Amino acid sequence: MRQPKVEETDRLLTEIAKSGDQLPAVERRQFLKSGLSMLGGAALAAGGTALAGSAKYAPPNVPPWTKSLGAPVIADPYGQPSPFEKDVVRRNVPWLTADRIASISFTPLADIKGIITPSGLVFERYHAGRPEIDPDEHHLMIHGMVERPIILSMDDLMRFPSTSMIRFLECPANGGMEWRGAQMTKLQFTHGMLSCCEWTGVLLSTILAEVGVKKGANWILAEGADGSLMSRSIPMEKALDDALVVFAQNGEALRREQGYPIRLINPGWEGNTCIKWLRRLEIGDSPYYQREETSKYTDLMPDGKAREFTFVQEANSVVTTPSPENPLKGKGKYWLEGLAWSGRGKVKAVDVSFDGGINWRPARLTGMIEPRALTRFGVEWDWDGSPALIQSRCIDETGYVQPTYTQLRAVRGSSSIYHKNAIHTWRLHPDGSVTNVQVS
Amino acid sequence: MFRFLKMSKLKTLTLMLLLVAVFATTAVNAKAAGHYGYGKAASVEEIAGWDIDIRPDGRGLPVGSGSVEDGEILYEDQCASCHGSFGEGVGRYPVLAGGEGTLTEERPEKTVGSFWAHTSTLFDYIRRAMPFPQPASLSDDETYAITAYVLYLNDLVEDDFVLSLDTWEEVAKLPNNSNFVPDPRPDTQAVRCMKDCKKEVKIVSEPTMTAEEVAAADDTILKAAAGNEKGASVYNGACAVCHNSGVAGAPTLDDKATWKARLALGEATLIKHAIEGFQGDTGMMPPKGGRMDLSDEDVAVAVKFMLAEAE
Repeated sequence: MRQPKVEETDRLLTEIAKSGDQLPAVERRQFLKSGLSMLGGAALAAGGTALAGSAKYAPPNVPPWTKSLGAPVIADPYGQPSPFEKDVVRRNVPWLTADRIASISFTPLADIKGIITPSGLVFERYHAGRPEIDPDEHHLMIHGMVERPIILSMDDLMRFPSTSMIRFLECPANGGMEWRGAQMTKLQFTHGMLSCCEWTGVLLSTILAEVGVKKGANWILAEGADGSLMSRSIPMEKALDDALVVFAQNGEALRREQGYPIRLINPGWEGNTCIKWLRRLEIGDSPYYQREETSKYTDLMPDGKAREFTFVQEANSVVTTPSPENPLKGKGKYWLEGLAWSGRGKVKAVDVSFDGGINWRPARLTGMIEPRALTRFGVEWDWDGSPALIQSRCIDETGYVQPTYTQLRAVRGSSSIYHKNAIHTWRLHPDGSVTNVQVS
Repeated sequence: MFRFLKMSKLKTLTLMLLLVAVFATTAVNAKAAGHYGYGKAASVEEIAGWDIDIRPDGRGLPVGSGSVEDGEILYEDQCASCHGSFGEGVGRYPVLAGGEGTLTEERPEKTVGSFWAHTSTLFDYIRRAMPFPQPASLSDDETYAITAYVLYLNDLVEDDFVLSLDTWEEVAKLPNNSNFVPDPRPDTQAVRCMKDCKKEVKIVSEPTMTAEEVAAADDTILKAAAGNEKGASVYNGACAVCHNSGVAGAPTLDDKATWKARLALGEATLIKHAIEGFQGDTGMMPPKGGRMDLSDEDVAVAVKFMLAEAE
């Protein structure tokens, strides 16, 4: 987290201390603590006790922040979340990869309360680390089976007509650690290779029209400028449909973690095809069979055959409250909620079960329903304190129904790593805690 | 917000004048340009500099050659520390050889010999992304030689094999080539049952590690850092790639003897070497390990962490 400059800190401390002088000793200490916490999470951590849940400043008492001045404008020129939200961060699973350069981090889904994932919480996936690219020095070359091979600067690219769309982004390995059995202990790690943003950029079809695609061109190689020169083959139909060359995310420039200054977004398709730090598009007649579409990102079946070019992320859903990170606090009425999504279009319905899938009831879809976007759902539920097996099931607009583990494994076995979209089960214990299980 | 759109008035004026000039000259070739006419035409030389991909039929292969014999030396030097001398893989780095006949087993071993479809993928990937700490650093002949050696590790060529444009056809298809199939999804036919959908429910699987055990495993290195968490963090994020595995001759932290000799040089010298780069007996340390985004201070705390660990 950004810390205020020393002078600024000193000034605020003086201000806080001055206001604090007028308070009795105990209150003054508490006040200083809360004042310090506004200056950064570290002070709060050192202070020990948090104010959350305290009745100290409940009515009729008036809290010190009501009786003093707050921080001035541009105390944080680029705004940061409250220090009290310091635990809402991306996390990784160290044993998953050999190092953190070719690795992945996870979005804290338990704290995501909308369909837009804040840019700083979007999961990261690098194959050779995150490059630092000067946009003035970045170029996009389009060549191959085209009438006019061209090189675009960022200025050039941003002169094209642009469009925006809210679409999810999911790594096809999301939940891949669960194919052989329940393994991860938190929602962040069972489903967190998933985010959803508003993406702004130029439709790939616009750029293709500009360069003039030759007859017989069926595939496009997209390549990044990072140390892995990450590359994937994209079919022409997708390129002409809704593939987007993106330069902005949630209204501001794309984050470095997400491919600054430009990336490809193939809505609804596996995240791996959405090449970051995009530098080159080669138009060709057949797939390029890159490492990430043969050795990796192919789905091995029980008969030894492997499915290639498995692009679509099928309908999926997960309950975010309750979850291991959001346990229940005693019996009573709760708003059970979660996220659903489908790479094939809009979410049509979501059902929830409290008995491990014997009986289901429809949930309410809340908020915006966009195609290929995270969609919120919820149901009101009166918990009587008994154990429960909580599930959710997504049905998308094509009529596809999210399968159970049994149904999925019957077709694909458990060695395919990618595209696990089985119905997920949370086991709710009488004490309100929640653990990850798989059921028959 | 968009740095590349911000420019001084003078710069804007210059750009506008330039644009007028550009439009004036391109007007002659208006027919050749696209609807918008943005960007510049890519020349043959410009395309050649970036057009590095190799396709299954060999399109894109550079002129050159490399032998299994030369490949062995290069592989030992640049690849074996992660992939193992026999392609068996070190730690969680990819296994390159073996695994034939395991694809239908409980734990399939997906290697170049047992799983990959095309030799072009191997050549292409080595050329674009390997060796891991120094991507795109190999010459075309070196890439041919290492490709040939990985084929040899998989028993696909003899030890006197030389890979070149002339011999490409012989090895272009890998053994598992015919076992890739198109995507048949949707492949499940779940129905939206609402009531009495199954007779009973049993819990069949739960995580074997508790949340605390997972956290403890995650924290091992940080705990060892004993007060230098920042150093441990920089080490894990930047230095571990080479110094955990010994890639490119980098001394590993458990190589106490090597570190003892280095310690004698003094901490300040070692930090200087790490920041400025250093040619050692076994390998070359690039400035800041190639991570120029790190501050000098970051590098210094990481070196301190490493020295404490190696002691």
